[in-house]
Amino acid sequence: MKNRSKFLARAISLVVLMQFLPAAAVAGDPEFHLLVGRMSAYCQKRPMPFMGLVSFIGNRFTPPGVGHLQMAIFENVSPLRKPPAGELDSTLQDLVGSGYRPFVQVHDNRNGDQTYIYVRESGKKCFEMLIVSIDSTDAVLMKMRLNPDAMHDWMDEPVKSGRGSAHGGGIDVAQEGAAKQPTD
Amino acid sequence: MKVTKGRSKSAAILFGALLMGAFVPAAFGQNPKLDIQNLEPLAKKASEVVDVNLDGALLRLAGKFMTDEDDREGLEIIKNLKGIYVKNFEFAKPNEYSQADVEAIRGQLQTPSWSRIVSAQNKPEGETSEIYLMTASDGGTVLGMAIIDAQPKELTVVNIVGPIDMDKLSQLEGKMGIPRLGEVGKESKKVEGHHEKSK
Repeated sequence: MKNRSKFLARAISLVVLMQFLPAAAVAGDPEFHLLVGRMSAYCQKRPMPFMGLVSFIGNRFTPPGVGHLQMAIFENVSPLRKPPAGELDSTLQDLVGSGYRPFVQVHDNRNGDQTYIYVRESGKKCFEMLIVSIDSTDAVLMKMRLNPDAMHDWMDEPVKSGRGSAHGGGIDVAQEGAAKQPTD
Repeated sequence: MKVTKGRSKSAAILFGALLMGAFVPAAFGQNPKLDIQNLEPLAKKASEVVDVNLDGALLRLAGKFMTDEDDREGLEIIKNLKGIYVKNFEFAKPNEYSQADVEAIRGQLQTPSWSRIVSAQNKPEGETSEIYLMTASDGGTVLGMAIIDAQPKELTVVNIVGPIDMDKLSQLEGKMGIPRLGEVGKESKKVEGHHEKSK
């Protein structure tokens, strides 16, 4: 009986703690918070709740060389909020800011998915990658940190990595062989 | 009065120089950057289009992690480059694009400053590779490069902007979206093996 209450108490505290994780995760990176805010204002949608928790769990499964994964998903974005094809590029660049350089773009004509990948240097030997993926109804914003080995792999195979990333498996494709974790 | 006359003469010379400066690059078409962003007919036919944009800032960034001994020559090349741009089209079925669709790119390479140095065909596989160089008017300095790599279900256009040391180019093969050209190069010697100036 005593053991059961102890277990329950632990479980409750874990659940309570997890409820606070999303806010903590977002608050930990004011810039990502700002980007999510901009994206939210643009899409006129709030991001899906508990993305901080999803990102927290996602970080456990990132391949070597990738870390600090943060994610925001905007569901059921009105097609009216989607800029015309020719303007998407400049609209997104305005949203992410001039610090990020456009690196790879993937346009999938089969399902209308468009993925924009931006990079910038972060600290002495780290790189930050921002992935914005938009389909007919949803938008996804992802930010992650890459160590030089992981970035090296991206530079070696930008087409393959970009394509893989647009299909949801790019990080794995890109990071084969990247063994070191990013450093702060 | 003398001063005024001298000043107007200098102003006229300066104006003339500015005018020449504005027209000279256009006249000689010495811009090695191709317009590969708007290849609409191909983009519409492709099932997937991938654009890689490695401008000067990104190349400098790339240079920071090319610290291996193997990367030394590659680093030497990219530090002088202004950009590497790759456009890759993937098609659902073989032969979904025609040679006419590729003309939008080839058309840009039909100026006197561009020369086709390699044209290799692998007929059984239906693959063709072409390499073009833009050289300075002195004929020596390479200002830019274009690669068209056509496969039945895939077309890749690479545009390298900036001075390139051809002897070291192999260091970039298979990197930054640049196809491996070693085999194409060998084959091209059999197929063409000469320096063909674009008309």
